[in-house]
Amino acid sequence: MELRRRGFIKLTGAGLAASTLGALGFGPSGEALAAAVRPFKLAATTETRNTCSYCAVACGILVYSAGDRAKNAKSNIIHIEGDPDHPVNRGTLCPKGSALLDVVHAPTRLEQPKYRAPGSNEFKPVSWDFALDRIARLMKHDRDANFIARNANGATVNRWLTTGMLAASASSTETAYLTWKTVRSMGMLIFDNQARV
Amino acid sequence: MRQGQMLFNGKWTGNPHGGVKAPQAVILPDPATRFSRTATRLAALAAGHPMAEWLDFMASLARAQHAVAGVMGPLGSPSRPEAEDVIEVTPPIAASVHRRAPIWREGLALLLDGIDIGPAPALARLVIESLRDSGADGQEALADSVLRGSVDAADVGASVFTAAALQVYFTRLAESLPVSSLRLLPRRGLCPSCGSTPVCGVVNESGEVRGARYLHCSLCATAWNHVRAVCITCSQSRSLALGAIKGDSGAARVEICGDCGTYAKMFYQSGDLDVDPVADDLATLSLDVLAGEEGWSRHASNPLLRIR
Repeated sequence: MELRRRGFIKLTGAGLAASTLGALGFGPSGEALAAAVRPFKLAATTETRNTCSYCAVACGILVYSAGDRAKNAKSNIIHIEGDPDHPVNRGTLCPKGSALLDVVHAPTRLEQPKYRAPGSNEFKPVSWDFALDRIARLMKHDRDANFIARNANGATVNRWLTTGMLAASASSTETAYLTWKTVRSMGMLIFDNQARV
Repeated sequence: MRQGQMLFNGKWTGNPHGGVKAPQAVILPDPATRFSRTATRLAALAAGHPMAEWLDFMASLARAQHAVAGVMGPLGSPSRPEAEDVIEVTPPIAASVHRRAPIWREGLALLLDGIDIGPAPALARLVIESLRDSGADGQEALADSVLRGSVDAADVGASVFTAAALQVYFTRLAESLPVSSLRLLPRRGLCPSCGSTPVCGVVNESGEVRGARYLHCSLCATAWNHVRAVCITCSQSRSLALGAIKGDSGAARVEICGDCGTYAKMFYQSGDLDVDPVADDLATLSLDVLAGEEGWSRHASNPLLRIR
């Protein structure tokens, strides 16, 4: 079956004369239009499909940023709405999802690791290396002190019950699998891979 | 509901989907309103427009189409089982293979007689005269080339009226198709009824799903759902950008695809509830000119504004 040819065309101010406008005697209308648009330019917005970061429902969202990615301009998120094509939410969002734009631009948004030393009353920005080393060190201390290799009957159980972990709901299946393997391999049982609302 | 008055019987009485529904895949045209809406909208948009003269003329063309649609009456669309057989392989009234009933030429004659030329340029009158005199063979040949999308330079003017008559004919054909058995084509950018290109997209503010995008057929006015933020020509989404004239309401935008170098117009009902796909496409020619001058090609032409 031959579907209708698309016939891509470039419409320019100068080209209007060779269109039906010219052929029907509306040339002056075309010239008036070409003159009227001369001072204007197109401003670009980029529409990006994403997933809401909040809960396990994982609603689809459309994120709008000013500027198109191709032109090397600094993009700035200007609008977020529910994705009408996403089968989970069909464009709807809960109040938290509807407020995502304010989360993006919140002055209090956490953008780097912060550390409050014991006895101190303020958080100070620290490097990722420091934060990860510190977490690893404290986990090791706690696990060494509280790891249960055998239960009262002498059966091997290898469990670690004094530390828990809550992982992200918006992560991919692969990330969730790796998180699960990493945490379970240390014997940790208090673990959820879903940030329930 | 006050608690404690009713025993819980374990039956859920709410809406199991919480009001979240899938959008209708295909919406068939209503010939009773299709052309009169366009005419009203064109007349409204013409006021103060740099192309007022032309838009007024297109409004009177749409009024003439409305009159012809009323006279032509419902056409015998393929019967249900017959249409379903066809849908398996091709859109049921595929413009490229459909054998037109001669009644479309009666529609064309009525259209040419009925159009109120008013203050239109003398050239328009001449084009109408010569199309009327071109006879059945000439009109059929022109209709074929309009549907193929390649019109000779000499016929560019007459192609507008031919396309307008074909729109009435195909809209009357499409109105009674069995909507539940229509299937979106593998090439989602083409009409599931007749396989033609859309004139533009409209992002709904009302209907089953707020914000769903519908493409509107340039020939039979069928509307069909198309995923947003995906190019309607090449189905890519990597480098799509929405362009709008700075300081505008945002009701009219061009969706530009850097992958295939084309753009298509999208109208947002959230910016203007009265948007009409055909009328607004013609009245936003400035967007075409700006996109064209940036080097982008239009995804397909509007049959009422053909460029050689």
